[in-house]
Amino acid sequence: MSTAMAPAAGFAGKSGHKPKMASADRLLLAVSLVVPVLGLSLFFLYPLGLVAWRSLVGLDGSIGLGNYASVLASPGIRTATINSLWISALTTAVCVVLGFILAYALQRSSISGKGLVRASLALPLLAPSLVQALGLIFLLGRNGVVSQWTGWTIDIYGPVGLLIANVLYGLPQAVLIIEASLRHSDARYYDAAEVMGASHWQQFRDITLPNAKFGMLSAGFVVFTVTITDFGNAAVIGGDYRVLATEIYRQVVGQMNFGMGAVVGILLLIPTLVAVYIQRVASQRQFGGGSESAIPVQPSWLPARDLPLGMAVFAISLCMIVVVATVVLASFMFLWPYRMEFTLRNYVITLSGGYTPLWTSLLISLMAAGFGVVLLFLMAFAQKRLPPALARLLYFGAILPVGVPGLVLGLAYVLAFNVSDSVLGLLYGTTVIIALCNFYHYHSQGFLTMVTGMRSVPPALEESVTCLGGGLRCVLRDAILPFLTATTVSVFFFLFMRSMVTLSAVIFLFTPQVMPASVTVMRLDEAGFTLQAAAFSTCIMITVALAMLLMRVAMTYLGRKKAGA
Amino acid sequence: MHLSIKNLYKTFDDFVALDRITLDVGPRDFVCLLGPSGCGKTTLLRIIAGLLPFDGGMLTLGEKDLATLPAKERGFGIVFQSYSLFPNMTVAENVGYGLRVRKEPAARIAARVAELLELIKLPHLAERYPHQLSGGQQQRVAIARALAVDPSLLLLDEPLSALDARVRVAMRSEIRQVQRRLGIPTIMVTHDQEEALTLADKVVCMNHGRIEQIGTPQEIYARPRTRFVADFVGISNLLPADWVRDVLPELAGQCPEGDTKARELCLRPEDIKVTADGAGEGRVTEVNFLGNLTRLNVQWKGRELVAEYNGFGAPEVGESVSLSVTPSAGAWVRA
Ligand SMILES: Nc1ncnc2c1ncn2[C@@H]1O[C@H](COP(=O)(O)OP(=O)(O)OP(=O)(O)O)[C@@H](O)[C@H]1O
Ligand SMILES: [Mg+2]
Repeated sequence: MSTAMAPAAGFAGKSGHKPKMASADRLLLAVSLVVPVLGLSLFFLYPLGLVAWRSLVGLDGSIGLGNYASVLASPGIRTATINSLWISALTTAVCVVLGFILAYALQRSSISGKGLVRASLALPLLAPSLVQALGLIFLLGRNGVVSQWTGWTIDIYGPVGLLIANVLYGLPQAVLIIEASLRHSDARYYDAAEVMGASHWQQFRDITLPNAKFGMLSAGFVVFTVTITDFGNAAVIGGDYRVLATEIYRQVVGQMNFGMGAVVGILLLIPTLVAVYIQRVASQRQFGGGSESAIPVQPSWLPARDLPLGMAVFAISLCMIVVVATVVLASFMFLWPYRMEFTLRNYVITLSGGYTPLWTSLLISLMAAGFGVVLLFLMAFAQKRLPPALARLLYFGAILPVGVPGLVLGLAYVLAFNVSDSVLGLLYGTTVIIALCNFYHYHSQGFLTMVTGMRSVPPALEESVTCLGGGLRCVLRDAILPFLTATTVSVFFFLFMRSMVTLSAVIFLFTPQVMPASVTVMRLDEAGFTLQAAAFSTCIMITVALAMLLMRVAMTYLGRKKAGA
Repeated sequence: MHLSIKNLYKTFDDFVALDRITLDVGPRDFVCLLGPSGCGKTTLLRIIAGLLPFDGGMLTLGEKDLATLPAKERGFGIVFQSYSLFPNMTVAENVGYGLRVRKEPAARIAARVAELLELIKLPHLAERYPHQLSGGQQQRVAIARALAVDPSLLLLDEPLSALDARVRVAMRSEIRQVQRRLGIPTIMVTHDQEEALTLADKVVCMNHGRIEQIGTPQEIYARPRTRFVADFVGISNLLPADWVRDVLPELAGQCPEGDTKARELCLRPEDIKVTADGAGEGRVTEVNFLGNLTRLNVQWKGRELVAEYNGFGAPEVGESVSLSVTPSAGAWVRA
């Protein structure tokens, strides 16, 4: 019975009958697609393509694989590759495990002091990545308090220090992602399991873990790539432990060898692309996403679980706080750790320009977040409406930037925009180009957040709008936006905060006139003004903390509005 | 207006979801699409709504060709199984949404919303938000919202299946009344045969992307044309033609000539009269008491038949009974 007969000729054509889209809708969709894609092409794909090209151009101008051959023949780079993979894998493992514990405790348990834990997790997001390294050195370095007080000689420079610094840096991002996946599950699964007599452990194993799997994979993916491409920590605390990120810097800035730098940049793309592929395969096995009327799971109080969980969580929080607090504390000390007297002298910045870089960074970050959020929203919106094959392509393009280290992006921007023979050259040395660079640097995370947000929009709601006569504009306004305001706000602040503190890409793009704050910290540290670097970091942290506070207020307001009258 | 579907064909990749669907919906018809899960009911409804493209065939409303008309210009009302209300709008705002999109004057919207809230008997909840309503109330609001724009066709995709049985039965009659009163042609998807039989003017029985039979509820029940329909709607004894010829020759006369192998007789339980009879050839193997009647399984002439017994004093398991069949009963179906 079920064997469908071949359709009679005449109406078998796959040409089909597709309802026409109104011209206004088509225009909106076209703009939503074309503008972000154009931006992505011009400010990401094109510069990156130049890097690929330059990796083929030898020092003598010949075209070929000469650079690759010399890189592969170099034992230093082979070591750096192994080191990078090793340290990133370790960091990822630690971050996913700790991240899940923290996210679970925050979402599902009734431990008290969640606010404090969240605040401590926000700390690393407030400052340039080298602050973790700076704090660790103040604590455990050769001239740290611990060696000073105990007389031990601890060697924090190297893989151990780098691992700790990376974990401190990556953990908050892992927690955010895993928390989101826990937040979206439906209480009714648990109610059903409870009724069927499943124990708490069984519920955890059969519902919580499978549901969080996607989040954990995403988190692992993000942490791995962020770690393997991070420059700040490796530069400050890595010591002689060579990793790929510092290797690029050495090649380009140290030896002005763009070709070799480009090769390392290209090599850095490989592990990331593998990670992207693994994550894609895994996400297809994900079961039931957030249903349209999901009832959130209420946290419960189980002493046997929550007491040990609470202790673990607070221990992690404490580490986070101590490291950053040390930097702040040190910035007020006369000579850490030898002369611990309060002073404000570190806040008199001796580098030329004084505090101007802080305002420059503020401007850059507002720009990056402002146009970033609009472009990402449009892109996620359009992506959902494309035919599957095109949507996959766009998705791939949109998450490509996460695999591109800031250093490579910075190098790419230099190659693409530090030119005198094209209009693109006009952008070089402006705040706009740094803002664009920062946006595309963090494009993927913002995009993934937007796409996740889009997924929470019930399809039935969008279709209702359409059937009631609303165009795409109405769908956007009435069905999508109400579900996406919170996401949009958080993406805005994410871009803003990342842009305030990022270091690795902008280190290639700053000029004496346009100098971002994080570069100033780096230069102060390099120049030996460690305490001034701490002071400047503190100023950045305060700025970003204020932004974060603002975001909280906005979110609370939105949350209250959504709850209805 | 008259909705006409001709040879509609739809595939998802290689899978044939709808195979040459032909169906007419008259100006005041209440049509139910009935069929098991996955048979293509939702797909058909979404194509009619304009939410899905189709591969071939014709879809017209009156003189208008719908094939290329976008959903938002069709002016149909649609209600989904799951709650599709705007969570950030009140009940009144939800109901008035379609009119606001059409830029109607505020006063007219308010009047129309009040009228519809009256119709769905929820005027006191106008200022509530969807999450403050029960499932049944939400669905009523969804229906009111669909009706607010005076749709030329109302499409309902299992609007009641998320509700509990009592609410479902109550809302069934409400939907029917509203539909009769407003005279809006309506297509409702359901996999609940009782719902289809009580509500519809016309039942469209679907299976594997094809229409098995279209007819009034009475026709579908009393004169099923295929084995699937006989089996899916109500309870039936499906009897092979050869057996009928041997055992019940008086019924075999109606068997159309030709390949009798491909035919079966559908005999409803109520067509078989059971009498307690110690010398009868039948033996009762199972008894199900259903209140006003009792359903019996009887082993009779090599087959197990389902029969009904009205009133009290039904035979018990193991008793011998004799069976008789109304001579004109039953319908021959394609196997
Ligand atoms: N977007 C899609 N892509 C591929 N196959 C699909 C798609 N949508 C539906 N199908 C398939 O088409 C068939 C018909 O689906 P449809 O949703 O119309 O079933 P239904 O009759 O409404 O079932 P139910 O009673 O479970 O709602 C199913 O086998 C389904 O798997
Ligand atoms: Mg369906």
